[in-house]
Amino acid sequence: MTSKTTSRVGATTLLTIVVLALAWLVGFASRLFAIVRFESIIHEFDPWFNYRATHHMVQHGFYKFLNWFDERAWYPLGRIVGGTVYPGLMVTSGLIHWILDSLNFHVHIREVCVFLAPTFSGLTAIATYFLTKELWSPGAGLFAACFIAISPGYTSRSVAGSYDNEGIAIFALQFTYFLWVKSLKTGSIMWASMCALSYFYMVSAWGGYVFIINLIPLHALALIIMGRYSSRLFVSYTSFYCLATILSMQVPFVGFQPVRTSEHMPAFGVFGLLQIVALMHYARNRITRQQFMTLFVGGLTILGGLAVVVYFALVWGGYVAPFSGRFYSLWDTGYAKIHIPIIASVSEHQPTTWVSFFFDLHITAAVFPVGLWYCIKKVNDERVFSEFRLRFERQANNLFISVILYAVSAVYFAGVMVRLMLTLTPAVCVLAGIGFSYTFEKYLKDEETKERSSSTSSTAKDEKLYDKAAKNVKSRVPDCVNSNVSSPVSCVLSVRLCVVDGNSHYAFFFCVSFMFHNANEGEETGVSSNVRTIISIILVIFLLMFVVHATYVTSNAYSHPSVVLQSSTSNGDRLIMDDFREAYHWLRENTADDARVMSWWDYGYQIAGMANRTTLVDNNTWNNSHIALVGKAMSSNESAAYEIMTELDVDYILVIFGGVIGYSGDDINKFLWMVRIAQGEHPKDIREENYFTASGEYSTGAGASETMLNCLMYKMSYYRFGETRVGYNQAGGFDRTRGYVIGKTDIKLEYIEEAYTTENWLVRIYKRKKLPNRPTVKEATIPIKGKKATQVNKQDLTLTFNFNSLQGKNKKGVIRPTPTSAKA
Amino acid sequence: MRTLVPLLFVLIAVCSAQQTLDEKVQNLVDLTTRQSIVKFNMDKWKNLVRMQPRNYSIIVMFTALSPGVNCPICKPAYDEFMIVANSHRYASTESDRRKVFFGIVDYEDAPQIFQQMNLNTAPILYHFGPKLGAKKRPEQMDFQRQGFDADAIGRFVADQTEVQIRVIRPPNYTAPVVIALFILLLLGMLYMKRNSLDFLLNRTMWGFVCLAITFIFMSGQMWNHIRGPPFMITNPQTKEPSFIHGSTQFQLIAETYIVGLLYALVAIGFICVNEAADASNYKEKKGGSGKKTAGVFSLFSIPANTLAIVGLVFICIFFSFLLSVFRAKYRGYPYSFLFS
Repeated sequence: MTSKTTSRVGATTLLTIVVLALAWLVGFASRLFAIVRFESIIHEFDPWFNYRATHHMVQHGFYKFLNWFDERAWYPLGRIVGGTVYPGLMVTSGLIHWILDSLNFHVHIREVCVFLAPTFSGLTAIATYFLTKELWSPGAGLFAACFIAISPGYTSRSVAGSYDNEGIAIFALQFTYFLWVKSLKTGSIMWASMCALSYFYMVSAWGGYVFIINLIPLHALALIIMGRYSSRLFVSYTSFYCLATILSMQVPFVGFQPVRTSEHMPAFGVFGLLQIVALMHYARNRITRQQFMTLFVGGLTILGGLAVVVYFALVWGGYVAPFSGRFYSLWDTGYAKIHIPIIASVSEHQPTTWVSFFFDLHITAAVFPVGLWYCIKKVNDERVFSEFRLRFERQANNLFISVILYAVSAVYFAGVMVRLMLTLTPAVCVLAGIGFSYTFEKYLKDEETKERSSSTSSTAKDEKLYDKAAKNVKSRVPDCVNSNVSSPVSCVLSVRLCVVDGNSHYAFFFCVSFMFHNANEGEETGVSSNVRTIISIILVIFLLMFVVHATYVTSNAYSHPSVVLQSSTSNGDRLIMDDFREAYHWLRENTADDARVMSWWDYGYQIAGMANRTTLVDNNTWNNSHIALVGKAMSSNESAAYEIMTELDVDYILVIFGGVIGYSGDDINKFLWMVRIAQGEHPKDIREENYFTASGEYSTGAGASETMLNCLMYKMSYYRFGETRVGYNQAGGFDRTRGYVIGKTDIKLEYIEEAYTTENWLVRIYKRKKLPNRPTVKEATIPIKGKKATQVNKQDLTLTFNFNSLQGKNKKGVIRPTPTSAKA
Repeated sequence: MRTLVPLLFVLIAVCSAQQTLDEKVQNLVDLTTRQSIVKFNMDKWKNLVRMQPRNYSIIVMFTALSPGVNCPICKPAYDEFMIVANSHRYASTESDRRKVFFGIVDYEDAPQIFQQMNLNTAPILYHFGPKLGAKKRPEQMDFQRQGFDADAIGRFVADQTEVQIRVIRPPNYTAPVVIALFILLLLGMLYMKRNSLDFLLNRTMWGFVCLAITFIFMSGQMWNHIRGPPFMITNPQTKEPSFIHGSTQFQLIAETYIVGLLYALVAIGFICVNEAADASNYKEKKGGSGKKTAGVFSLFSIPANTLAIVGLVFICIFFSFLLSVFRAKYRGYPYSFLFS
């Protein structure tokens, strides 16, 4: 008997390990689309900075990195990188690189960076397994691990090459939460300290640690309010809080924030409350009821009032910072749009449509409420059980509360901001895992017992036949493993083929026919075995659909490096457009080493990372007024922009223009945000309504306003664009992104000159001209009889100071554009 | 001597004009000490706004507040205007208050002014600058583009007159009062039922609350709240209403309701399936006497088998619907189930 049980335990452990390893492998492999299609390259924007910082750290060592002052960013301000960065990511990959190096595997640090996120997805799966195992059961844990390994919501931030904080932070998040649950369950200081350590890692890796430092206190608070205070809670929370606060203050970027900002105050408040509650529990048995009431009811009110007063006094006195704008924008949803346009302008800070929920979660979105429902149902089950069970169950209930709070708060945040889908995905995977395992546990286990009693011979035969093939399926459906699935397996295999072909409804009809074929034995008491089989099969179909969906989404939506663009020709060939790297390489090779490149902030990191040139603004949007200055330069006319550029020592200007190939993420489409941000700082000079057409639309076409047609961005984007022709019968200057012919085709540049334009016109680089000391007056501006003068802007008068004297009083022939305001 | 006489006249004229200007300002200041805006009738209008010697700006709102006139946005626009005027009265400096005045012309009081200005819409906000001639058209604020909330009006005033008005919005007490009343009501109910607080431990209730939150946010209601899309769109050509917008970046309120409902139905299907299994398990264990199984569905005493099949049908059909709705929005998505 004992040997049997041990062998069974051994088999279960082995299977668990195999399933987790497969989950890791699948998660890793499905994130490699970008690498297979393109090459091993760092994606997008932020990863380029992370890569650059990692590279710097590996070259110069950790301490040099912490003290690194980057003079190539935010010219002329510079940036203290060591103090403004979460170093966890760089340290992690640096460490991996160092280990590999000492083992004599010499790889370039870029490879480590590219493959870091896929590797960590496997660790996330394992952490999720442990978390779910603590919360519910090992079976549910395996489900959750498999879900998170391929869930598109998480894949979106962790494909190979997407070398960003989130890639490792989700692992830290899950692991911290697991350790918190574990420490709460055991009440041991060891687990709490481990939790604090893991939290430290999370803090060093991602700004989203604020989520967990508010979630854990919320959980503790909920437990106190529900009367579930226990010494375990006291021990784990107090030791966690003290250690975590001290540890998190070691990260230079965080510094004294844990004691000085409002975001961290709830944790401190709960810490204080916990001391009072502990004292209350201690005193309850030692003093009379009367004394107890006066002591605590009176004391609590006074203390509570005092705490609130002290908090506000500290905020007012400036010792504690009030909640940050980013935090407000989570609650007051209109806040960011009015007060912080720079936050509102980022597409990942937009609210989430239902489509992206479904896109990222698919079936798990529909099943996770089920898991939530059963967690809630289980919370108060203790009355049913005996005294011994009661204690055990109480503990389990505390854990359910944690996951309920996690899920409900995460679903709120995900609704407010697309970016926070990332924190929701783990919760959804855990709960969907619970939902599926709950169902499968019932529908597969009971079949086993029934099969034993009825002893059908045909199923046994099936089992043998399909046993080998079944293993493929088992990796996806880990819970089938523990029980003898026999009859479903044959179905599943045929069904699976249909699903992969994209004809899942055939699969369904197949199942229905199977159901009617076998609908002979109807049992009065419960769910008949046929129905059980069908339900299991259909659930497996859904799981397969999820796998197919996840793969499709990963492959089509999330595996674009966005540094290299891809399109297909009419006969299906792939067309790679490598304009970005072409332009950055040109900058690297053809400009002076200390050349300053002005661009909109989106491209700052890429210019620094790939071209190794100084930028004015970049994706670390810490200085709004500097960005607004660049925005102002882009949206002013040429002469005004020239002044700004001279002040900022700009040598080159870089714009992204998609009108030739129909790339929609270009600067013209972002231009309105530049105007808005500039208007926020310079309301006198830049006015948003001046950039609209008379009918109030944003357009660069025929109806575009004069201000729009004369601004630097328009000129740089469309310079010489009028000479291009798409087809024979089409007019020149047809913008494929916007879908119309541009408003002004004869653009002349006076203060800048075109330096380089890439193959598909995607990146255009201009050089700021060095003007001679004495401004020359062009011939055309001197009125000649019968010849019309060129347009001169009002601001031009200030620069060409002898303009008036040359012309004398005869101003005939000079067309001055009246400053148009769009007012009707 | 001959030249002196006209000069004298000019001087007198200038002095008298000066006086009237001072008088006018004083008049306006007097008018605005009691209340922050001037209500114009024809006399005041001619005298204070349209007659030339002026060194002050007047911001005038033309509106129709009487209930006889059907103007739903006049009232909120007027309220916002009042906020700016009050902020100006209390927060601006003395000199600023002599530079800018706020006034209102109600259609009922002075329809002639509307006729004179050739207006047939309301509300309209005009700025009459100090140099504006008697027949010139004043600057108008574009409500369509800028909106009419107090901040926008304040910005308009700042643009036009260079007088910065710090808009002080009187705190709106209705929301806190309603919340406080609601909380009091809840606490009162709790106090009344203090002997049987078991309902707070009712998992089903909490379950429904949590699931409702989940469905609300997953169906994108927060997006609706922030962006305010229309409920549905009617095609202008065919007059056919469409409930689903064909783009992934946009959604209609109707489709979010549909999606929320579909999510809920799939979840209910799943719960049915599980309850069926639970029910049969209990029956097996307790020998058929397990009528008191936990769950909502046992109330209806549906046979477990039927319940399971119903649940399964729910899951399949409604999830397929969900996929179809998704496909309608996300063009080119290749996978479907049951329905294309």
